[in-house]
Amino acid sequence: MTKRRVAITGLGLINPYGEGDVEDFFRRIMLGESAVRYHTLNNSPRPLALPLVACDYFNPIATLGPPLANAMDRFSHFAVASALSAWQDCGLAKHCNRDDYGVSWGTGSGGSLTIERGYQTLYFENKERVSPLSVVLAMNNSAASHIAMQLGLGGSCITSTVACASSAVAIGEAFRKIRAGDANLMLVGGSEAPLSYGVIRAWQAMRVLAEGDETTAYRASRPFSKNRSGLTLAEGAASLVIEDWEHARARGARIYAEIVGYGSTCDRTHIARPDSGGQVRAIAAALQDSGLQPHEIDYVNAHGTATVEGDAIEIQSMKTVFGEHSGKLAVSSTKSMHGHSLGAASAMEALITTLALYHQSMPPTANVTEIGTDCAGVDHVLMQGRNNVPVRAALSSSFAFGGSNAVLAFRSVSA
Amino acid sequence: MNDLELIKDFLKNRVEAPLLDKIVPEATLTELGVDSLMLIELIFEFEDKTGITVPADIPPPKTVGELLHQLDDIRSQQAVASKQAIK
Repeated sequence: MTKRRVAITGLGLINPYGEGDVEDFFRRIMLGESAVRYHTLNNSPRPLALPLVACDYFNPIATLGPPLANAMDRFSHFAVASALSAWQDCGLAKHCNRDDYGVSWGTGSGGSLTIERGYQTLYFENKERVSPLSVVLAMNNSAASHIAMQLGLGGSCITSTVACASSAVAIGEAFRKIRAGDANLMLVGGSEAPLSYGVIRAWQAMRVLAEGDETTAYRASRPFSKNRSGLTLAEGAASLVIEDWEHARARGARIYAEIVGYGSTCDRTHIARPDSGGQVRAIAAALQDSGLQPHEIDYVNAHGTATVEGDAIEIQSMKTVFGEHSGKLAVSSTKSMHGHSLGAASAMEALITTLALYHQSMPPTANVTEIGTDCAGVDHVLMQGRNNVPVRAALSSSFAFGGSNAVLAFRSVSA
Repeated sequence: MNDLELIKDFLKNRVEAPLLDKIVPEATLTELGVDSLMLIELIFEFEDKTGITVPADIPPPKTVGELLHQLDDIRSQQAVASKQAIK
């Protein structure tokens, strides 16, 4: 059976820089501009401020209307808003009522803000009951279902919770559905709203969050740097419309890029410490699935969370797979700018990788002037992006806690 | 604030703006977009604001008027019960 090709035809996101559209977001990414700020959490029992990406400008009631906004957790607000934006971008009518179109969404912790709110009600306000909407707000699949309801997508509606690889898995599994003929179009992506007091304290307890103050917060995340010191949490969402190539062509859709491969593996070694062996198998699997040779990959959007251990292991994995091509392999971690939005991060990075192919440009790793010796050996794109460079094919890697690895392969339409 | 005003106040951020003028006793909860979960939310808020306790097994009202009637009945019953308790 011949495999169908899969086109990317719509992009949307909650822009961490503010009100601007997808192109505004990508322009800032190419300039190496950081969206990380020293942010004071306003829903905590005691003062808490740290470098974060918080989308405070986003007003769910103004964007979605009161009935919808009140019926959803913040991670679903982000999901629906970004999905509506991607849908508009892809050029299809809003409520399509199609049974061959579906949703594949990713989120790490779903409605954690709703859960925290529930505990506040029970333990601090001494009430005996919580909102009757608690279950439907907090459940991880609520974002996907709200997207399906808003757009009229009646095919499969699935949610992947695979920590920081959640939305890479969501995209990869949907890609396979379309390729196999099980769906003609899928709205894919991920969202996360992790800025609750409890979730931030949990990440702090792991000692993986980068520190910073009013003046230094923007450069808190320094992936692959000699002085990297951890990640910066972010909230947000990104959506892509992916569809059967012929389906896209028949309706005259703009095709940004093609998804050509997906590899997923488990390290099967440790719950938190990444293992190069599992990562190597995931990258190799994505390459094999795509039919691309290592030397055809011009850019890798790395997982690159800026943890001391993780970054070095990831570079080692790339060098193992790409061998002598490694020195020419352009690599960057855009988490240095948009932060680590956990279950939404892979979707945001897939969106960036798609635009890198569409614009033939390579986004940078920001805030880094000196690469760590343990992260050397690839062509790091630093500080500013490269414009007008050939990008034939690219990978986006996600290596999650749990040892769950997911790598997506993309190809340029033009090059 | 009377009971109808309480209901209107609850619904103002939960239903589509054009429906706000249609919150009248004759309106059905379905046409206002009030589903079973939203009704529970409404009843919880009503209890918090009025101090009365709405039994969990009241028959589901179809219209705003039916709901108002049920709330009125419950309030009267509980007022009688509390007077008897004082005696």
